[in-house]
Amino acid sequence: MMRNAQPLVDALREPETVLSLDGAGWTDLISIARAESLIGSLAHRLANVAVPEVIKPVLDDAIQATDLARLQALWEADCARRALVPLNCKTILMKGTAYVAADCDAGIGRSIGDLDIMVDRAQLPAVEKALLDAGWEWVKPDPYDDEYYREHMHELPPLIHRERDRMIDVHHTILPLTAKPTPNAQAMLDAAIKLDSGLYVMAPADMLLHSIAHLFADGDLAGGLRNLWDIDRLVRQFSQADGEFWMELGKRAKLHGLERHIARALRLAAQLYDTPVDKAYGGPAIFADNIYIRRLLARDGWGRETRKFTRQAFYIRSHWLRMPPLMLAGHLWTKWRNT
Amino acid sequence: MSQLYRAATPNKLIQHPLDSMTLIFQKSSGITHIVADPVPAILEVMAEDTVTADAITHRLSAGFDLEESADAADIVLARLVELCSLGLVEQVDGG
Amino acid sequence: MNGLNHLFLTVGPARFRLASSWQEPLDQLASLYKTYPASYDDYADFTVRLEPEKPWRRFVRPSVHISGDYWLPDAAPLPLSQSLLAAEMGMNLQMALGWRRHLLLHASSVEKDGKALLMTGLSGSGKSTLSAMLAEKGWRFMGDEFALLNPDTGMVHSFPRLISLKNEAIAAMQAILPINRFGPMMKGTPKGDIRHIIPPLNAVNRMKETAKPALLLFPRFGYDPVLRDMGKSEVFVRLTQASTNYVALGETGFRALTRFVDTVPTKAMDYQSGEQAEEMIDSLWSKLP
Repeated sequence: MMRNAQPLVDALREPETVLSLDGAGWTDLISIARAESLIGSLAHRLANVAVPEVIKPVLDDAIQATDLARLQALWEADCARRALVPLNCKTILMKGTAYVAADCDAGIGRSIGDLDIMVDRAQLPAVEKALLDAGWEWVKPDPYDDEYYREHMHELPPLIHRERDRMIDVHHTILPLTAKPTPNAQAMLDAAIKLDSGLYVMAPADMLLHSIAHLFADGDLAGGLRNLWDIDRLVRQFSQADGEFWMELGKRAKLHGLERHIARALRLAAQLYDTPVDKAYGGPAIFADNIYIRRLLARDGWGRETRKFTRQAFYIRSHWLRMPPLMLAGHLWTKWRNT
Repeated sequence: MSQLYRAATPNKLIQHPLDSMTLIFQKSSGITHIVADPVPAILEVMAEDTVTADAITHRLSAGFDLEESADAADIVLARLVELCSLGLVEQVDGG
Repeated sequence: MNGLNHLFLTVGPARFRLASSWQEPLDQLASLYKTYPASYDDYADFTVRLEPEKPWRRFVRPSVHISGDYWLPDAAPLPLSQSLLAAEMGMNLQMALGWRRHLLLHASSVEKDGKALLMTGLSGSGKSTLSAMLAEKGWRFMGDEFALLNPDTGMVHSFPRLISLKNEAIAAMQAILPINRFGPMMKGTPKGDIRHIIPPLNAVNRMKETAKPALLLFPRFGYDPVLRDMGKSEVFVRLTQASTNYVALGETGFRALTRFVDTVPTKAMDYQSGEQAEEMIDSLWSKLP
């Protein structure tokens, strides 16, 4: 029985490691990969490896599933594009949808859920109205949540399309307004790259920095293995394509106040996935990194999360990261009254 | 200048007639639409052209025994609006 | 972390690893599935987990939470006395959400002469009971929950899990089958009283044999006996609703389902008793090309 997710990380980093697995090992690996939403990425990584006959259909299923996820994500993005055409504003795709729309390696086999877009904050009311007119609706019309989102978050309350049943998150920056680093959203908008469709994606350095900010800022590191896999793929692709990439990344990290985040994320990625990291960011793992690594790998061969305690600690911490203490108390108080 | 329309290209749609209705599988979204007359005919006469609603009504009356009238024009326009919202037809800027 | 006990089950083309905090459901499964092929290599397509909702609920008013590779966040836990049902639901869930090698139709199926009769409909339509009954009258039982339609060949694959009888159907089948074919009686489940039957041995031994779909019925229990024609559009729409993975299969699903609707004769069948249904089915079957 696998005791943590290390074999999944190994298989992604070095596909041939799966050749030593027996039946039980494969069953564990598949459960872990599904639980971490990395089964599609794994299936693509193993495309040229002699996997057992019985495993091929399992991996083919995963490839088909992520092919469809890609199609649906691009369609959903196009629906948003059509709804927002009259506004003539830059609509920036984020996360998984951006990776597939821009044909990034990080998009290969990636599972994609909601559509995330970023627009100029000044355009938010117009964007909101255009989406409502085009068939999107509020998910839960709770006035408190609504106010909370609008005052403190980096996005509109989530909307869902009444016919297609798909969610959209409309951001105006990449981190909650209450979080400590305040990335320069305007600079991200200005640097965004236009695709043939008329939609935009972030420039390479910003795209990577968003993935990094997302890893630490959103929740409790849940889904962190996939997030770091995104980071690994982006780093490899961008640094190979552009000799100036590391320098640009340094400048943008400083501009967005994400220098500490980037150093840690790249150390973690290098430790897990052997991500090639420029010497300005490398360096040996520091003690605290081990806590992160243990948390990231906390998944047993049944697909269960282990280390519930570490996880809880991370969750509380993630709230503190996002909100100043007094606001946190107010938030809990209002939630408590509602239950 | 009247609004121009263009249908999704035929290789992105699979049409399959079933008794009174027609199924349209839209490859770009993975969505199956089930439509009634005159939608299949509208898509057929639009072919790959960029056309106005009036031109579509005219082509329908020539090819499909549809009397060219104000009613027919209204029906075509109403269907076009629905087809646009489904992404089967797109509005195109004139010029 | 509590350890989990486990066992492997093979049903039709799918292999499951069932992991549980309690031995009880695994013993029940092992006994009810003992005629099924044994696992010799520990591979599985899916893992199902049966665990307490909270650690102490393993012993105190034990409640079984169903999860696994695929799961629904709002699935309500079941009492330990219904853990067999939880295991079956867990396997259904994996198939419904994760299986992509076939188009899954929520239908029962039986086979004769290489041809398959499929029955689909809402809960209470009697499709499960009818398949169990026909299985004792010369038909080969292929499944009471999912019919697996191969998109490449158009053939139906068998998925002969335990047959799940509900409420009145339990007594009806107890009247004609020996008690050693039955699982434990589970009263007061979210779906009413439930008792499983072990499919006939030939259904298990021949579970790799496919069949050509030859007739589709929409049975409806409790109405004056009548057979009605159905429009192909209606059949198509109702089958998309009866399929758990139609959308997930994309264009493949569309092609498989349109081919099925174009080629398989379909009737709505109202009936008031098993005998009536059997007569109507025999008469339809004898007139098939």
